Amino acid sequence: MKLTVPVSHPDEVEMLAANGAGEFFCGYVPPEWLERYGGAFWLNRRGPVVGNLLQRDEVSLLAERSHAFGIPVHVTFNAPYYTPEQQDILLPVIGRLARESGIDGVVVSDVGFLSALRSALPELSVHASSVMATLNPGMIDFLEELGVRRVIFPRSLGVADIAALCRSASGRMETEAFVLNEGCVFEEGYCMTTHRSAGALCVQLPGVPHRVLPLGGDRSEFLAGEEGERARELMGAFKDWVWFQNGCGNSMSPAGIPNGPCGLCALFDLVRTGVTSLKISGRGTSSFRKLVSLQMVRVILDLVERGASREAAAVKAVALRNTPKFCESRYMCYYREEAS
Amino acid sequence: MLLTRYHGEASRREGAGHGVEVGIAVPFLASPPPAVVRGEASLDEMLLGAVPHDVHALLAETSLRPLGGAGPSRVYVGSETCERLLPDRKAIHSWAAAARGSRVALSLVLPPLSRDGLAKAEEAVRALEGVEGLEVVAGDWGTVHRLRSHHPGLVIVLGRLTHKMLRDPRLAEYFDSPQAPAPARSALCRSGELAPGFRALMERYGIGRREVDPFLQPLEADEWEGRSEMLSVHFPYLFVTMGRACLLGSMHREPAGKFVPSGSCRSECRKYAVEFRVPVPGGNGAEKDLLNLGNAYFLAVPSSVSGRILERISSSRRVDRIVVTVPPGTTEAGASLPSPQRIRPWPSAAEERAER
Repeated sequence: MKLTVPVSHPDEVEMLAANGAGEFFCGYVPPEWLERYGGAFWLNRRGPVVGNLLQRDEVSLLAERSHAFGIPVHVTFNAPYYTPEQQDILLPVIGRLARESGIDGVVVSDVGFLSALRSALPELSVHASSVMATLNPGMIDFLEELGVRRVIFPRSLGVADIAALCRSASGRMETEAFVLNEGCVFEEGYCMTTHRSAGALCVQLPGVPHRVLPLGGDRSEFLAGEEGERARELMGAFKDWVWFQNGCGNSMSPAGIPNGPCGLCALFDLVRTGVTSLKISGRGTSSFRKLVSLQMVRVILDLVERGASREAAAVKAVALRNTPKFCESRYMCYYREEAS
Repeated sequence: MLLTRYHGEASRREGAGHGVEVGIAVPFLASPPPAVVRGEASLDEMLLGAVPHDVHALLAETSLRPLGGAGPSRVYVGSETCERLLPDRKAIHSWAAAARGSRVALSLVLPPLSRDGLAKAEEAVRALEGVEGLEVVAGDWGTVHRLRSHHPGLVIVLGRLTHKMLRDPRLAEYFDSPQAPAPARSALCRSGELAPGFRALMERYGIGRREVDPFLQPLEADEWEGRSEMLSVHFPYLFVTMGRACLLGSMHREPAGKFVPSGSCRSECRKYAVEFRVPVPGGNGAEKDLLNLGNAYFLAVPSSVSGRILERISSSRRVDRIVVTVPPGTTEAGASLPSPQRIRPWPSAAEERAER
């Protein structure tokens, strides 16, 4: 089982490699992109600058250092779509990254861009981003025909669905599932909003005026009755859930542990799904958060791989996090389908 | 082709609503109103009295005035965002039977599907095979691939959720701002679908129609006309976002089970909606009302936007269909029932406090 780890500077490579990173992914925004689009159109799922490398030399150095540890590097080109003009800009950029900077592949979301990329650079490894929202085995077949080497599952899939899709992908492509950090209240591949300027819509929603409307019937009666009470309870829970999914108000706990979505308790089951890589998110976060995240996953994964039971691994994970109330809420968990 | 109650088979381009086919989508009904399936009701007749007053006012403003006399010639069944609303076998057979004796065609609408959802959708497609004019609106490429592989002759339409473009209602009206760099403006007012890679996929999968939203930002002319496929435009709701974890579907679950994507629900989306009043950044206090319907969020577009799009449609070579979505709260019996009371104006702060 490989751990796929975010990296945003060549200086992070040695530290993360020494702590068990199996693969790296990073972002690169070339100067010509920033000149043309400013901050209005993000090249990848992080902001125009934060979390991204801005010079190709930095990508080359990052790849060189990673390869010295035997670690491959994939670069994210995973905006939901690219216009024809943008594709004309990006295809040569990716070609140079592959030929001259030594990257091992790219992560993409736009199916049309994927198709063009395979025609232009057929040897290049391509991973299908979680933004492609691979939810069913038909999509595995579709991606295989387009020559995708790996599918990254969206966050909304449960362990059972991941296991089924891993069986479908087995022998045809690698698979990757999220294990730590960064949530998405919506289905990322079908969210047509932007985080720029206005911030994430999901974070905003619980704090704006809202009202539950009965479709038919009298609203006053509804509000005074049991269903009205349930509606109020629902909206309170929604606020909590959004808070947990977005890092609990601070991306680190006072003890220096990353807050936010977590699949550590599910590692026992995830390993048994046959998934080939586990993803830690957070290209835009500090080196410290990346390191601690990796160390946490490594500890639990080592435990599971040495034969620990599901319960023992989960107990250790909760202890490691040291925020038992957060864990008890279950709203910070990636994988909690059994709770329903 | 146009089929209207009043105009019969009119030639195209006589005017919006008279030169396009009108489809009606009923995602929250277990079955579409019989009068519509039989092709006996115009859009206006069907909706008047069947939807709440305020919804009717909205539809009148955005869709009914130019389209009201049009008789829907196509009914969209199923939800484009939630596979729990996939029609069951009984409903499918009843529609198939109704559609066989009618001049109204069926479109089976599919949301982004899980593995279980895909299996159920295939069952529905098999049950409907042979129905004249049947088409399937797909919400993801995995479904497109599977359906094309197993049903080579099936008419597959790309649903609007596959049309990747930003529609954030908080910002979309700024996308075309002259203050933005021209390349950025262009990129925010068009998709990647005219690029060679996407064109190749359309050809490979034999897709002849795509559905689009009523975008707040004005789309570039090419986005409308530079295609080989035909376009269907949705009114009056702009799709904004969706989650597989459903807000309303969590209403009756225990706290730990709320917002789990695979959790069970009681189809609360057929009984309730949630409205959010979202501020517009830099809008001097302006706000947008975002409507949560089940697991998805929509914005009812203002008449200025629908008017601009209808004007475009009247001279478009590629748009030949308008799809009007009937919101939840509508009765299955159609026009025969009185309108239910529903939305009143937003309460004042004092009223809100009293309600709590």
